[in-house]
Amino acid sequence: MFKAKLKADVLKEIIEVTGHIVDEIVMDLDSEGLTIKAVDPSHVAMVDLMLTKNAFQEFEADDVSIAVEMDKMREVIKLAKAGDVISMEHDSERNRLIVTVGNIIRKMGLLSPSSITSPKVPDLELPANVILKTDEIKQGIKAAESISDHVTLIMEPESFSMEADGDTDEVKLKLTKDQLIEISCKERQRSMFPLDYFSNMVKAATNSSSLKILLGTDFPVRLEFTIAGGNGEVVYLLAPRIED
Amino acid sequence: MGVKLGDIAPRTPAEISDFSGWVMAIDAFNTLYQFISTIRQPDGTPLMDDRGRITSHLSGLLYRTSSLVQSGIKPVFVFDGTSPDEKEGTVESRRHIRETAEREWQEAIDEGDMEKAARKARQSSRLTSDIIEESKALLRLMGIPVVQAPSEGEAQAAYLAEKGDVEAAVSQDFDSLLFGTPILVRNLTISGRRKVARRDIYITVTPEIIELNTVLSQNGITREQLIDIAILVGTDFNKGVRGIGAKTGLKLVKKHGTLEGVMAEKGIEIPNYKRLREIFLHPPVTDNYEIKWAEVDANGIRELLCREHDFSEKRVDSAIKRLDRHFQATKQKSLDGWF
Repeated sequence: MFKAKLKADVLKEIIEVTGHIVDEIVMDLDSEGLTIKAVDPSHVAMVDLMLTKNAFQEFEADDVSIAVEMDKMREVIKLAKAGDVISMEHDSERNRLIVTVGNIIRKMGLLSPSSITSPKVPDLELPANVILKTDEIKQGIKAAESISDHVTLIMEPESFSMEADGDTDEVKLKLTKDQLIEISCKERQRSMFPLDYFSNMVKAATNSSSLKILLGTDFPVRLEFTIAGGNGEVVYLLAPRIED
Repeated sequence: MGVKLGDIAPRTPAEISDFSGWVMAIDAFNTLYQFISTIRQPDGTPLMDDRGRITSHLSGLLYRTSSLVQSGIKPVFVFDGTSPDEKEGTVESRRHIRETAEREWQEAIDEGDMEKAARKARQSSRLTSDIIEESKALLRLMGIPVVQAPSEGEAQAAYLAEKGDVEAAVSQDFDSLLFGTPILVRNLTISGRRKVARRDIYITVTPEIIELNTVLSQNGITREQLIDIAILVGTDFNKGVRGIGAKTGLKLVKKHGTLEGVMAEKGIEIPNYKRLREIFLHPPVTDNYEIKWAEVDANGIRELLCREHDFSEKRVDSAIKRLDRHFQATKQKSLDGWF
């Protein structure tokens, strides 16, 4: 059983956070809230999203998994106006999600959850991390996107940098300790990542004012931020580019 | 330098870009010698820093290697260790040539004969231990692997190629084939233009590939017979027989089967020929090496070249960038390895 009401903005966040990773998601529901774990088809990026029931206007659920197509969710969100509340109810008999937006009722055919693999989230020990303003790194990505298809993240005890190196141009964003909300780094860590994935992840974090980045040399990077006004958490993992 | 087997070694012309993605073992002494002898000013004076120390080798290593790297080549430099005693004769005669050339170089400058001066200057080139150590240091800063051979660098390079750790050995000398490299690449580390000796014209020099198997099959000989031919012609370790070049050597060895047969037939005596064969067939080589490309130490390179040896910062930085680019020829990993 699943029955809930949530603000259109919150649903939009869910779509923005997961939609660039996969085309189909499995929403795992229980009495406490919603989780979505998904890995992209090439296994380069992973998302682990959790929303508590406080993120919803109304929430009621037994243990159930619902598999939806992202495109259908996007169609629904386009119908919503700012401030709208969307209601959802699972029709388990016909395996449909009944979504109400304003005066429109959409009965959405669902996929079989078993047809979609739900990944385990690897437990990584990453030696360094920073918390920074999302806007700062968003600016850096904006500067990097036109010149390169990958970025290098570097953490040092006193600073965080992001570098992009193109054929003729270079972009470097450097934030020193006093420009960061928090930094914990004993030794220099450095890894390179595909910029398109990284950019989508950071863009999905823009509703959160701060972003935590955990880094280890030649390890996946882990991004953490909150959504739904603090009632939800997102973890991204992105695999590095490594020299042969 | 090296054995003159060019006449019987079929070569395939190649472009630098053909070697993209290849791991190549470069004969360091051979290459450094080329740098020292060719990277010179018009009157033959080598490149020098403000304190008069030679920098031709550093210049060649940085600029030439970074452009190879930019072409997608993964170079490994193999340095000579202790030469076999048999090389003493060659070493001695080279020393003599050098000393004479050095004297004549000065005379030519005094006479105002710049063409002769440049030629004599090239002949006077020598690798000092400072040059060798500094070259190793620069390569390490550049993140390029350095392999120390116990004896001949070419033997070690051939060993790496035979083992499959590298795709080819790079040297100007054909000796690499005698040491058993399946593929020898020549003209890789010299620039596209080379002056023709004693003439005021330049020819374009392009890389060439020589495959040991092709050399052997086209001539209808074994590697042992190729070595016998080389011993007749003369190597770095013996003088050879007067009047016998590669073609005659080939004819004789094919006719009589082995060096012993040729010697008996021709009444020639090469006293240490068995030992010479051993030098090529079973040279001292080592498994104690690591082929791993490291991150470029840009600050270290600037410190050594710009601060210590007065290189132009701008040119050094652009070479560093070319090197760096290579190290970004990276592979995207999947998360699977971390589950």
